[in-house]
Amino acid sequence: MSHIATIVLNRNLPDITDALCDRLERIDGDLTEVFVVEAGSDDNQLSRHCTWLADWPEARIHGLRYQRGMNYALSQLYNEGRFDHYDAFFLLTNDTEFGEEPILAPLLEVLSEHPQVGLLSPCSRRWGERMLLTELDTRYFWYIHNTAYLLRREFIESIMEKEEPNHMNFLFDGSNFRGYGAESEVIAKGYANDWASAITTRAWAEENETHLLTKADLIRTETYKENLRLYLEEGRSWMRRKYGFNSRWSMQRYVKFFYDQFFEFHPEYERYQI
Amino acid sequence: MIKQRLESVLHKRCTLLGVGPMSLNCVNAVIELANEYLVPIILIASRRQIDSEKFGGGYVNNWTTGQLASHVIDNDKNGRVILARDHGGPWQNACEKEAGLSLRRAMESAKSSFRADIESGFQVLHIDPSIDIHGTPTLGEVLDRICELYEYCWAQAQRLGVKILFEIGTEEQSGSTNTQEELEYTLMSMRRFCDRNTLPFPSFVVVQTGTRVIEKRNVGSFDSPIRIMDELPAEIQVPKMIEICNRYNIFMKAHNTDYLSDEALQWYPRLGIHSANVAPELGVAETLALLKLMEEQGMEDLAERFIRLAYDSNKWCKWTLPDNHIRDRDCAVVAGHYVFSTEECNEIKLEVQSRIHNKNIDLDNFLKERVKESIMRYLRNFRLVRTA
Repeated sequence: MSHIATIVLNRNLPDITDALCDRLERIDGDLTEVFVVEAGSDDNQLSRHCTWLADWPEARIHGLRYQRGMNYALSQLYNEGRFDHYDAFFLLTNDTEFGEEPILAPLLEVLSEHPQVGLLSPCSRRWGERMLLTELDTRYFWYIHNTAYLLRREFIESIMEKEEPNHMNFLFDGSNFRGYGAESEVIAKGYANDWASAITTRAWAEENETHLLTKADLIRTETYKENLRLYLEEGRSWMRRKYGFNSRWSMQRYVKFFYDQFFEFHPEYERYQI
Repeated sequence: MIKQRLESVLHKRCTLLGVGPMSLNCVNAVIELANEYLVPIILIASRRQIDSEKFGGGYVNNWTTGQLASHVIDNDKNGRVILARDHGGPWQNACEKEAGLSLRRAMESAKSSFRADIESGFQVLHIDPSIDIHGTPTLGEVLDRICELYEYCWAQAQRLGVKILFEIGTEEQSGSTNTQEELEYTLMSMRRFCDRNTLPFPSFVVVQTGTRVIEKRNVGSFDSPIRIMDELPAEIQVPKMIEICNRYNIFMKAHNTDYLSDEALQWYPRLGIHSANVAPELGVAETLALLKLMEEQGMEDLAERFIRLAYDSNKWCKWTLPDNHIRDRDCAVVAGHYVFSTEECNEIKLEVQSRIHNKNIDLDNFLKERVKESIMRYLRNFRLVRTA
């Protein structure tokens, strides 16, 4: 049995998705089973690796985006009784790029060395965070913005929707469509339940934003600029509606409160505190 | 005494404001607001703006250090304005760079500038030897130069029997306080140095908080909800740097706060950022007000003359990207304050004044009020002024 379920989100970019899936199977295939969730892709634009197709009208028109897409895939695994076959779930957008070195083995190694880490992100060579990861290759953060996360199953189980899990609620709050601030909510829930979120330089991942910039029409999304505007506008409304926060800084302080408290209860991990 | 005054303001969960003396009107705006609202405002003069007579003064009102200080001290009735040197140190003015001074000569020159500051009544000295025209100094070299200048300034202040506060660090890449490790190391080294020499610990340290000014925008990560490549997200950087500063009992100073949104500025006191500087935005506010007045009053000829004058100064290059595509007018707007004290600008302003004389508008008063409005945005957001 594979340890990890890798879930790749695609919308109308089969070649890019297939290249990523092929690379994962070729280099990390002994550790993972790869699933592709088609977020309302056209029937003639499906990846060879397509596992699930979100084909209801709304998904066809608007897509699913990261939050709903990952919720959909995870809830499918859950409803199919396969969720607990995996120790961890590697959630990726199809524009994620890795080198030729294995990505999952080092990430699993970090998870096994850090039993309280529930969410693990590979670092990017273009992130400032790498400056904090020189002495130690893995540290715990209260803010991680990425589209590649490895999530431990027990962590997901501690915060997931259990009663009626679906694409809107399984792990992320699907009402925040484009997802600005969504990862902060998950990180806060993690620390509130004794699970840390970490970044490691033992594995590297890069996001290739050129697809969003040059293939917006194919993905059937708004232009990069308009998408960014909506991402922020919707995310801010979501934060205000759900938490009464009028600023991203309020959200950050909320997460950091649980982060700081985590180390009060787990002083043994203080050396990983940034 | 000044330190206690500043601490009492900070206890009210405010952020202290440092204002660049961009022009005579800007300096007067600071004096009037500080006295009207009885709040401390730190007037932060760079060496290019104001320097001692030996260096021919600066571009702001062609003032020397002594002349600026006299103007402020004479007009600041309640003693609310704090005179400060911003980025003092070797090669921080044009003539030291142009002369290609050696390290020792540049250090002597910087000392002479600092001496004039102290003799003129400056109360806060920012010691920033991060610039070196002959190469990039190492962290150790920067610290050695800070210590040398620090000791010198303290001795001068002792000689004159005056109290001064020190500011160290810089937001520039070549500085010593950009990362947590650098900040810790710098503060630890300074503590050791101060203890060993029985010197007071610095009061302010400049920390990079994710602010950077390009043209008329703040392009740093502080006000950006999306990731800026190769920068630590402000969400991580700012709280960590504040924690370190609080541990060392030193005020954290953010530079380049210009053009941040109200939302971002309102978080300064909430996050515990002790102090912040704003400068070019105020020069631009005055330039825009001058251009608007000229254009609204049908003085396009004068507006065009001013734009040409400011554009030809090439001072806008510092504030634009090398491959910028901005219009000449926008270049002129970011460079306007550099030419306010030129003869030609004075002629333009006199002509403007003569043409609006019958409309009962005093030009400088009008411009000063616009600058005051810009400063008020900071005073309110930093909770220094609590009125609506």
